[in-house]
Amino acid sequence: MSIRVQRLPYGVGRFSAGFWLFILVLLSVVGWGIYAYSRQLVEGLVVTGLRDIGSMGGAAWGLYIAFDVYFVGVSFAGITMAALIRLLRLEELRPVSRMAELLTIVALILAAFSVLPDLGQPVRGIVNLLRYARPQSPFFGTFTLVISGYLFASLVYFYLDGRRDAALLARIPSPLQGFYRLWAAGYRDTPAERERHHRTAFWLAIAIVPLLVTAHSTLGFVFGIQSGRPGWFSTLQAPAFVVMAGVSGIGLLLVIAAVFRHVLGERERLHEGIFRWLGGLLALLVLVYLYFTVAELLTTTYTGHEAEVRLTVALLSGPYAWLFWVSMGALVLALVSLVLPYVPSLVPVRVPSFQPAFTRAAGLAAAGAGLVLMLYRHSPRLVPVAGAGGPEPEWVGWVLAGLAVVFVLSWFPLFARSVVAAGVAGGLLVNVAAVGKRLLIVVPSQTHGTLLPYGPGSYTPTWVEYSVVAGLFALGTLLYTLFVKVFPIMEVAEER
Amino acid sequence: MPRYAMVIDLDRCMGCRACMEACKVENNTPTAAFWMYVFRFEEGEYPNTHIWFMPRPCMHCDNPPCAKVCPVGARYKREDGLVATDWDRCIGCRYCEVACPYGVNYFNWKEPVRNYYLDWGDRDVRRVTNGRTPPYRNPDLDRPYGEEKRRVAGGGRLKGVVEKCTFCVQRVEEGLQPACVANCPAFALHFGDLEDPQSSVSQVLGRKHSWRLLEELGTEPRVYYVGAHSPHPESRQIEEVKARV
Repeated sequence: MSIRVQRLPYGVGRFSAGFWLFILVLLSVVGWGIYAYSRQLVEGLVVTGLRDIGSMGGAAWGLYIAFDVYFVGVSFAGITMAALIRLLRLEELRPVSRMAELLTIVALILAAFSVLPDLGQPVRGIVNLLRYARPQSPFFGTFTLVISGYLFASLVYFYLDGRRDAALLARIPSPLQGFYRLWAAGYRDTPAERERHHRTAFWLAIAIVPLLVTAHSTLGFVFGIQSGRPGWFSTLQAPAFVVMAGVSGIGLLLVIAAVFRHVLGERERLHEGIFRWLGGLLALLVLVYLYFTVAELLTTTYTGHEAEVRLTVALLSGPYAWLFWVSMGALVLALVSLVLPYVPSLVPVRVPSFQPAFTRAAGLAAAGAGLVLMLYRHSPRLVPVAGAGGPEPEWVGWVLAGLAVVFVLSWFPLFARSVVAAGVAGGLLVNVAAVGKRLLIVVPSQTHGTLLPYGPGSYTPTWVEYSVVAGLFALGTLLYTLFVKVFPIMEVAEER
Repeated sequence: MPRYAMVIDLDRCMGCRACMEACKVENNTPTAAFWMYVFRFEEGEYPNTHIWFMPRPCMHCDNPPCAKVCPVGARYKREDGLVATDWDRCIGCRYCEVACPYGVNYFNWKEPVRNYYLDWGDRDVRRVTNGRTPPYRNPDLDRPYGEEKRRVAGGGRLKGVVEKCTFCVQRVEEGLQPACVANCPAFALHFGDLEDPQSSVSQVLGRKHSWRLLEELGTEPRVYYVGAHSPHPESRQIEEVKARV
């Protein structure tokens, strides 16, 4: 059986004006991020909102570490897909396999890059981590297991997985033929070769799957085994990191799959079954995470260790309440959205609908108010006060959250009709929650979790931190987009 | 090998914060960094209130959470008990800072040229000092110390590394007391060798009941307190230092 391919599939090698414009926008965001980072290199980390814990009333870790954890979490997607497809033989998920693997690789690269700006001495960081590495430090696992081992294994898997397509594409004349020939490296897709590849990929999947748990746990242990930080010191930290990694990774994969379904017009291959499967998995993981959250809250508040209670109060009704409830709300809304497609068939209810104009108004108002709030918070004329939340009145945040909820609610009729729309909404919402929860894990334990009575501290990220993070996101999107243009993002279909 | 420890007699401490000042002058620390910090506490309800003071240097723990988590071994425990920071090796990840339950670590957030206790390059200061390096800019801070010959004494305030109380290793290795101890007008601070029964720390610890901060965490601090009690939720901090870089 030999497969013939007439031309490069899935938009590979075709560059439109819109594409170049998109690349230009991404490049300018990356450039802005690099500029922001250069300010930090020149002036030091004083340009960030980070400060010393204790008498300086700050947080030593902030946005950079939170997004490092987030990016590592997103990398969950690739391994999961590899495991599901190779070990559980879920062949119907094959079309998203490469998307997931690429997401893993890009996310891990971003994770490595987001540690760098957190270091006061980045060059030393690279040199000394190799020269003086100490396995006793929980960071060791982050650098060996996650960034090196995980990334390397994923790259190998990715390479092997793509060899068949490279061999197919190397047969047709195109400017990229040399590249495909290099990737295929002598592979000709004979039955014997295919069999060998299947076996290799199977064993490789078995080898990577333990990383699914260990790598994400390692990052949890960076926080979970610090007895001096209330809120971090918890057995649940490592398992919760694994589950949250799954939530954000699968969520982002849903969004990416929907984008390709739309952009490439591949409704047949990226069929609804995939979204149903991933949506179900995501809903399950969200449920587990919500359960973990309840267990954690009950444990910390019931016995009433003074520092734990102080921290929990700061989370539930203190300066971090808005972020906590937005994250929790996003998780619950995501769960409902993901379940909605099943509701009409289970129970004969009609999901109430809103006027589309109302939806747009609520959404625009929420986005506009958010932007104004953000600008206001970072206005240079405002001096942040230690201990206080933001300078704006508290109700502004709640109004914003309310508008956002209305916006999501008004889409519910669509979610009930379309499993793809529900998946996208769920995926976006859980990623908002993932970022929020990462920040809530990293920051409050430092500002409100001091065991000596230093009093509450505060942390507000500066434009430098936001710019660097935005630059990282743009870099990730850029890498992903460019790859999609030189290699098929889905396995080349067999033409019958 | 000596076993260094500090004993802080809270019954004698009058909260003058001279130790904080002495530390800043000796170690030339940047603004808002307090390797030695003195809590001023108030307890009770009016009119039954009382005020007490608690100096907080680095605890130089025997089981230091900071040294455990350091990914490159820049923070380490010396044979004589000092927990030292090798600023020549530190990569500035601040893991030690988040791991420390006492909040004693201070990061060099920027080039502290204009940020010292005194800016020695300032024109007005130079007029007074005649352009000479004043005695307070201590070249001893840049030298390597200990058998392992590592740069652990405060140093040149390199941007982007973590520093903290060194127990004034540059003074201790010359047989002197740390600056805070030497300058305490109330003799509330003692420093010495626990192995030596005649040392003031051994004497005070033998005579009085002592406790250590957050002992329940198992960090085994080398700083012992005598008198008063450890701070509890009712201890409100007054006149706190709110300095930020």
